[in-house]
Amino acid sequence: MTTNVFPSRPARVRSFSPGAALRLLWIEIKRNAMPWALPILAALFCYDTYRTASGSPPIWTVRASLVTSKMVFDFAAFAGGLAAWTGSREGRRRTGDLLATTVRHALTRQLAALGATLLWVLAAFLAAVAALYIETARAVTWGGAPLWPVFVGVTAVTMLSVLGFVAGALFPGRFTAPLVAICAGLLPIIGSHNLQAPTRNTHVLLTLNVSLQPYDWGVFHHVLPDVSIAQVMFMGGIAVAAIGLLALAPVLRLPVGSSAAGSAGSAAAGMGWWLRVTSAVVLVAGVATSCTAYYLAGTAKQTQIGWEIPALHDAANDRPVPYTPDCTSVSGFRVCMHPAFGEYLGGVAVALGPAGAEIAGLPGAPVRASQVATPLGPPYYSGPGLSGAPPVYQFTAYLDWVSPAGMDSVQSRAALQGQFFDTFLGGPSYAQTGNLDPAQQAVSNALLTAIGTSPSFANFGGFSTPRVTAAASRFAALPSSARHAWLLSHLAALRAGHVTLAELP
Amino acid sequence: MTAAEVRTPPAVPARTGSRGPSGVRLAWLHLRSRRVPAGVLALAVCAAALRAALHWHWSFNAGPYSQQIPMIIEAGAAAAIGVTTHGPFGEAERATGRWLPWLRLGAALALTGLAIAALQLGVTGASLNGGILQMARNVIGITGIGLLCSLVTGGLLAWTLPMGYMAFCQYALLEAWRAPWTWPVRPPTDRGAWIAACVVFAVGLLAFALRGARTRLTDDNA
Repeated sequence: MTTNVFPSRPARVRSFSPGAALRLLWIEIKRNAMPWALPILAALFCYDTYRTASGSPPIWTVRASLVTSKMVFDFAAFAGGLAAWTGSREGRRRTGDLLATTVRHALTRQLAALGATLLWVLAAFLAAVAALYIETARAVTWGGAPLWPVFVGVTAVTMLSVLGFVAGALFPGRFTAPLVAICAGLLPIIGSHNLQAPTRNTHVLLTLNVSLQPYDWGVFHHVLPDVSIAQVMFMGGIAVAAIGLLALAPVLRLPVGSSAAGSAGSAAAGMGWWLRVTSAVVLVAGVATSCTAYYLAGTAKQTQIGWEIPALHDAANDRPVPYTPDCTSVSGFRVCMHPAFGEYLGGVAVALGPAGAEIAGLPGAPVRASQVATPLGPPYYSGPGLSGAPPVYQFTAYLDWVSPAGMDSVQSRAALQGQFFDTFLGGPSYAQTGNLDPAQQAVSNALLTAIGTSPSFANFGGFSTPRVTAAASRFAALPSSARHAWLLSHLAALRAGHVTLAELP
Repeated sequence: MTAAEVRTPPAVPARTGSRGPSGVRLAWLHLRSRRVPAGVLALAVCAAALRAALHWHWSFNAGPYSQQIPMIIEAGAAAAIGVTTHGPFGEAERATGRWLPWLRLGAALALTGLAIAALQLGVTGASLNGGILQMARNVIGITGIGLLCSLVTGGLLAWTLPMGYMAFCQYALLEAWRAPWTWPVRPPTDRGAWIAACVVFAVGLLAFALRGARTRLTDDNA
């Protein structure tokens, strides 16, 4: 008997098939748990990010900062938790040994599952960013959409998803997903708190959250991208390293998708050398990138326009952003503001116009008012001031502008007028300390009363004692010409702090 | 096969012991099938995390921001309780276990009490803003949300709604909302907040005890 013996041919495993990979990815997209969380995420976005944005000034940088300060926190727990849920699937169902017999490497399945989770997370995140940016574009009057907050946000949720997936794959269990979700929720808050601590070191700049910035951040100068670049490097490096660790798990005898170390070993045996080398390179590259970013963050220093990392800094970003100010006059007093704050120009002019007219003609009185940038670096004094010849009153954007009533409220108007008079009367000592002496306070209150504003809304320079109030009432009761004449002759002494309450007429 | 074989009475299962110990054994098996021992460990981790947060000042000491981290950890403890609602036996257990509602009720109640005790133990000697009253109210209310969520998503995903509620309350905390249903942001002695939290817990506990968590996993549907 003769038999035809055909030479056995090992089954050929194609290294990569785009069609099969796409089919696998599609299956994972369809069965992913992330769609269950979309209604919750949508509700969180509407209440947290969208409502906060609606109450913020219509400035691109201010509203775009919500992407990292609000949206990342809202997405963190779900991106990390549901990725951990997906990653723990094989271990939870104890199908590791069964799936070890499949042709393709376990990493193929895991990357497909991770890719599907990332697609859902990033699609939801980018849809939310789009909604936020469309709403912002309808409200702003100047500037363009900043993209760095989006890059940082995308990197953050990607990192959280990858870390969650790897945690789920390495430690499959029913408690892994909620514990990962809690950790993902804690990280931004701890980072945010450390960033605001007085003894902070600059490494905390790498955390997910950002501290509250002035409302004119990114308006007069570009927002420096240095910290954003370091954040993307740091978080992206962690994500890449985590993928490398996941790929190397069988080699390291970590029980991925199986309860038996033996199957991890058999999986390692089926792992080609090229995959081992590639995984090791990915792991090392990710760690190196994160370490580099950590080192760079340690070299950050704060300047007048933001955090600067020398190795990443582009001097071109230091140049001011050119703009043509919006100006208007009320009662003959000219007020100019950055066009980004054009919405507030009318209210500010209505507040400062009568105040400017009240002191017009006095020596050193400002001839106009102009908005300037809030300094970010030392000495951290952001109050208004007088500069130039003829003097110009320089003021910065501040919180009252975005109060519910905005510049139309009595309080906001009084605050602006009070600061105007305090700056004019306080002289150099007020510029340094922010305090008025009793006579200066009384005159400031009297001038406020003269233009029809209650001083109780606008006491910035100090508390009004009964003696100050009495002196202010006395001075305010004088005819306008008498007040003006007294100020003409005594202004220098008053600003130098040489006038007492008793000497006020 | 003979008729004698047919007439042979079926073997009576041997009793394993007296009624008392068998009840204890049933309860223990129920708890083990729900991974309650691991859940207790998860609660201990939450307590340790709260202790670490207070010890190393991960958050602010006063003001609304001081509640952020305790709230997350309390929601985590509630989520861990929610996850223990998943049982591996499904319909078969429901069809045969007449004590099941009582076992569910007892397990959920015991774990909630244990969570409060563990978190209180974790903050002993440290200053928790709001004190044990606020912490207990948060755990009770958010656990109720987790139990309700388990009816819809199944026990394994019962952590999602507590996490969503926690994230929403972070916003409500900073916006100083006053509605009773945002009880984590209300003062410890706020009556409306207590009523809201207790009602949610009672409804969740009752519904879970009667119906049990959904037995099919969410991603088994595909």
